[in-house]
Amino acid sequence: MISPQQNGQPSWQVGLPEKFSPSFHLSGTQPDPLRPERTGRERKEQGPNGVAMDYRTVLIQRTVRSGQSIRYPGNVVVMGDVNPGAEIIAAGNIIVMGNLRGMAHAGAAGNQNAVVVAFRLKPTQLRIAEHITRAPDGETVKPNQPEIARIQDGFVVIERYQPNSLRFPAF
Amino acid sequence: MGEVIVVTSGKGGVGKTTTTANIGTGLALLGHKVVLVDTDIGLRNLDIVMGLENRIVYDIVDATSGSCRLKQALIKDKRFEDLYLLPAAQTKDKTAVSPQQMVDLCQQLKADFDYVIIDCPAGIEQGFKNAIAGAEKAIVVTTPEVAAVRDADRVIGLLEAAELRDPKLIINRIRLSMVKKGDMMDIDDMIDILAIGLLGVVPEDEHIVISTNRGEPAVLDKASRAGEAYRNISRRITGEDVPLMNLETGEGLMGRLRRIIGLAR
Repeated sequence: MISPQQNGQPSWQVGLPEKFSPSFHLSGTQPDPLRPERTGRERKEQGPNGVAMDYRTVLIQRTVRSGQSIRYPGNVVVMGDVNPGAEIIAAGNIIVMGNLRGMAHAGAAGNQNAVVVAFRLKPTQLRIAEHITRAPDGETVKPNQPEIARIQDGFVVIERYQPNSLRFPAF
Repeated sequence: MGEVIVVTSGKGGVGKTTTTANIGTGLALLGHKVVLVDTDIGLRNLDIVMGLENRIVYDIVDATSGSCRLKQALIKDKRFEDLYLLPAAQTKDKTAVSPQQMVDLCQQLKADFDYVIIDCPAGIEQGFKNAIAGAEKAIVVTTPEVAAVRDADRVIGLLEAAELRDPKLIINRIRLSMVKKGDMMDIDDMIDILAIGLLGVVPEDEHIVISTNRGEPAVLDKASRAGEAYRNISRRITGEDVPLMNLETGEGLMGRLRRIIGLAR
């Protein structure tokens, strides 16, 4: 994988990001299992760091093994690894406190501000909203620091995770 | 009352049947009463690997359906007094037995044997569900290949969901020379992904091919390194603390020269 840049430049572009229509549809009469519940007050889609917010969160305290699928209409936090062949599909953000080696789909209901964070980000495939991306062919990924994946300028960008970085400057 | 252990893997061809035959024979060598159960109905192999194929009269389908008594279906091993085999049926398929029948069968066998070792078929469908139904412990066999580890991980997830906690891992057919060169997965990498306890590591060994064809498990062969690994694994199953054997082939200069000239295999 191309090494992540410090300054947020797009760094993980694999040709053109493929656009795909989510298999679960937001419009229509069918209830969307991944749609976060609406409260009476106005919801903010984006917090100060540019990260999707106002979702419920589920905590999974085990390693997610191959063949297991976690789908949740909110944020998902995993205290463990996500093994290859496993998938996490969340309407909100995905945080993996371990090795993310499987497939993660954040913002699965269409939220472009969702992010994927992992202690070691080496997924087979990464999806945010309707963007899909993967590591370039032939390169084995060996990150040695926590990383965050987000959409920036229409591309999936992977950079070192810094907890207090503000995406938008104060002016 | 005995222990019921299922030997499973997910992927086919990694060595479940060979492992079942060898640890069963290894435990018999240590003096325990052991029965091996072949649940690969329709594709039975355990009888061939044990060398008992000509002695089959009744099989597991007969025993579970009541066509014969369980004792009639058990075949005594030709070398050991206390080692028995319950063969699978070749002319049926995996729908011929139900998980509940397997639970009852294992209960019956537990009463008479120290160890009941179940050889699970490849896959995760009915055959797998039957095999794990009556088991208390599980051994997952894998080879150092990405595909095998992926399938083993899937199976471990299914075992955990079926309340078979704490499965143990056997890494089979490892070639230390390839691991050193980086062509084959490292033991530590595999344990990192699978995250279960390691029961043993079995090196690649040509003796296995000979032994499975002849029906003489490799544990009985002093010259076989795989046999030695399986003997160690059998001792670990009984609770003994045995260090992992040295996988170095210890070739030496003459061996390498001979290999270059092409005299040795």
